[in-house]
Amino acid sequence: MQQEQTNNGGRSRANQTRKGMLTNLQRGETLLEARGITKRFPGVTANDAIDFSIRAGEIHAVLGENGAGKTTLMKILFGQYQPDEGQIFIAGQPVDFKSPLDAIELGIGMVHQHRKLIPAHTVIENIILGHPNAGAVLNLSRAEDEVNRLCEKYDFSLDLRAKVWQLSEGEKQLVEILKALYRGAEILIMDEPSSALTPVETEKLLDSIQAMAESDLAIVPFITHKLPIVLRISDRVTVLRRGKVVSCIDTRDATEKSLAKEMVGREVLFRVERTKIERGAPILEVENLSVRSDKGFIAVDQLSFSIHEGEILGVAGISGNGQRELVEALAGLRKIEGGKITLEGQDITYANALHRWQAGVGYIPADRIAMGSIGDFNLVENTAMNYYFDEAFSKRGILDFKQIRELTTELVEEYDVATPGVDVKARTLSGGNLQKLILARVLSRKPRLVIVDLPTQGLDVGATEFVRNKLVEAKQGRASVLLISEDLDEIMSLSDWVAPIYEGRFMGKLPADSTPREVVGAMMAGIELDKQGAAT
Amino acid sequence: MRIGRPTLKLQKRVYLSGWRAASISILAILVALLLFSLIFLLAGINPLTAYEEIFSYAFDNPFGLPITLNRFVFLLLCTCAFILPYKAGLWNIGMTGQFYIGSLAVYGVLLGLGFRGSEPVNIAPGFVILLMVAASMVSGALYGAIAGFFKGKLNTNEIVVTMMLNFIAFWLVSYMIKEGGPFMNPGGRGESFEMAASLRPPTFFNVPFTIFLALGFAFLLYFLLKRTKLGYQIRAFGLNPTAAEYAGVNHVSIPVLVFLLGGALAGLAGYHYFAAVPGVFKIARNYAFFGDLAFYGIICGLISQGNPLASIPVAFLFGGMSVGGRYVQGKLGMSFGVDFALMGVLMITLVAFQFFYRYRVVFSNPQKENPDARILD
Repeated sequence: MQQEQTNNGGRSRANQTRKGMLTNLQRGETLLEARGITKRFPGVTANDAIDFSIRAGEIHAVLGENGAGKTTLMKILFGQYQPDEGQIFIAGQPVDFKSPLDAIELGIGMVHQHRKLIPAHTVIENIILGHPNAGAVLNLSRAEDEVNRLCEKYDFSLDLRAKVWQLSEGEKQLVEILKALYRGAEILIMDEPSSALTPVETEKLLDSIQAMAESDLAIVPFITHKLPIVLRISDRVTVLRRGKVVSCIDTRDATEKSLAKEMVGREVLFRVERTKIERGAPILEVENLSVRSDKGFIAVDQLSFSIHEGEILGVAGISGNGQRELVEALAGLRKIEGGKITLEGQDITYANALHRWQAGVGYIPADRIAMGSIGDFNLVENTAMNYYFDEAFSKRGILDFKQIRELTTELVEEYDVATPGVDVKARTLSGGNLQKLILARVLSRKPRLVIVDLPTQGLDVGATEFVRNKLVEAKQGRASVLLISEDLDEIMSLSDWVAPIYEGRFMGKLPADSTPREVVGAMMAGIELDKQGAAT
Repeated sequence: MRIGRPTLKLQKRVYLSGWRAASISILAILVALLLFSLIFLLAGINPLTAYEEIFSYAFDNPFGLPITLNRFVFLLLCTCAFILPYKAGLWNIGMTGQFYIGSLAVYGVLLGLGFRGSEPVNIAPGFVILLMVAASMVSGALYGAIAGFFKGKLNTNEIVVTMMLNFIAFWLVSYMIKEGGPFMNPGGRGESFEMAASLRPPTFFNVPFTIFLALGFAFLLYFLLKRTKLGYQIRAFGLNPTAAEYAGVNHVSIPVLVFLLGGALAGLAGYHYFAAVPGVFKIARNYAFFGDLAFYGIICGLISQGNPLASIPVAFLFGGMSVGGRYVQGKLGMSFGVDFALMGVLMITLVAFQFFYRYRVVFSNPQKENPDARILD
């Protein structure tokens, strides 16, 4: 006990002498180096002898598919995991992080993808939360001055007294960045920095990142699939595949194609072949549909449209314009305010979710974890989510799990879901594999209407390509598809028709192959077609 | 955790076999008994003597064993009543109230048919017994369903509702059986009138037939959860209500259903203890003791991790300890509350040891290149 205390005292003294050591470093000097980092989990080596280094003033992106070991590496750099082998050096000195607190003390900051902020508190309250200088009695005005100085330095604009729930995603991220900077971060780890942001916000964020790098901060963005962002901002890029570093190159030597190839391990086609199917009978007909949001406002406003057999209707829009309410109303998960929904001539306006599944609706939700799957169920039980009500899979109320297991095995095979078996829990699957499983489960029912909400959000390039091809396959199988996406490229390359949505209304319904992207982009922002013409 | 050079590490378990879970639980029981020895030592009693008394009375004694078995049946019913809503992600804290209401319904049937006290019975006793069993289950079910209905329709907190229903039921029993109440004992002893002797149910070694009902329901519940469509929907709803609703599971009928079925089982416990256990045959003055014991259904349900089959040995253990603890308290002249203290220590230890369901301790020597780890399970 006695000895342990001296040890602890010694360690914290050592850390204190090191505390200032990052601040005196010059641009271009190595701030942090990780050598031979290996981390094993039962059954998998998540990180295999990874070498990584970051210099002052550098933006060093870490790129990799889901499951390539990015998250593990990130957690090791931030002290959440301890490596099984290997060593981290800060300014040339070996360090052991016992917890994130050690990492923070040495000047490492983390910007989480899923924001860890308290919505009911103000920006400044969130920033000083847990700060060692916050003290027992808060001195908000002093903290505010200091944070304002940081904002000026990096040209951030943010109202420090606003409540966090009022902020946009981009502003929330800025709060996370400020929080890390205010604690003295010299190295900023960013998890999927642009994943939840709109295009405009992304631009702003990238500018901020560059401004920070110019002031000699080191920035490590971890990125799954947005290759253009890597190319635009980073100085160096490290690509991970299956837990190993496959390359570490200067970004100016890389192209989108070469990076994608390194990540996936094969050539990737960025465009999906558009196929035209002869237009069949209408499958889904919606008349004057109105739906309210959770807060009681009209979110879908008197919407009328139809989707025919073998057709993909792409609904393009910035999230929060009624897309969620629209799909939930179509799937039978949200009460509708007025209007009529017909599926193949059958009125399903008042049918519940179960009846709609049985009538031939297949819904692939945006939130794969909260809605699309049950993490503690194994893959067989997850497949059963769309089959338990099927006459063919139960007899007198008893489920035929043997048959469902066979089906799951087939689907896992056909959809190339990477998993050690069908008995593992769904929560162990990576995002891409989970999406493949959900897709397999829904599409194997051969639904007449497929509703897909943000099908490739957060997926890596390989999985994205796969998912898109499967949607085209469904269309070729003469299903009608309603595609909701914020990704304009996705909408334009997959859809037959594009319907930009703005404040609960379609701004029009345009043929995808003959409409310029910019027109759709402007309509997503609420500018009507004829007014666009007048402006140009 | 780091001790010197070779290190003890905690590793997450990927898979836990049934046998491993059972051996961890047995280890936990041994540790609990070891801890409880301190109480005996403080009282100046040799723990070995005390445990010998407890176990031999509870499990190997012509008087003790039937009491243990009767408590076991009672606990098993309450445990199953807890487990079913628990599997749907809902907490039934109202077994106590459902048990009270079930008991009242049994005596309501007797009163309704005119069998107050020891008057001769002119309807086939088998039919009356059937009626009493049905009444206890139906009334418990309806009483339980109140909480399920409010949960499903209005999303009220089922813990608060069932707790409040417990209080209502407690005072209702008090009103019914005490002086002036419709069920009062003519002798006015603060208990209900006695059931006619001809309605006493068949027993096997002083244990009524309800033991078969309870065991049957435990097996049935296991099958329901594991294999049926309904069980699948209940489990899906319990693990992720949003995903279950997405898959078409009804978010109103599932809470109502699990509380209906759970309440029925807890109601049956009312028939069991107050109309079937030999020597009772009335709503006893100390009915609150059994009401408190019903809460042990929660403990047993959590220890058996919602598995109705695993809850059979757990309920048996707790039934035995409640009997043996009380016995040793009188026999060795200890102060009041040994039985509940013993069950409390058991409960805390068993719950604490569930840590090892999720982690295992790995002993490794970092000096070796390849840490061929020895595993201490």
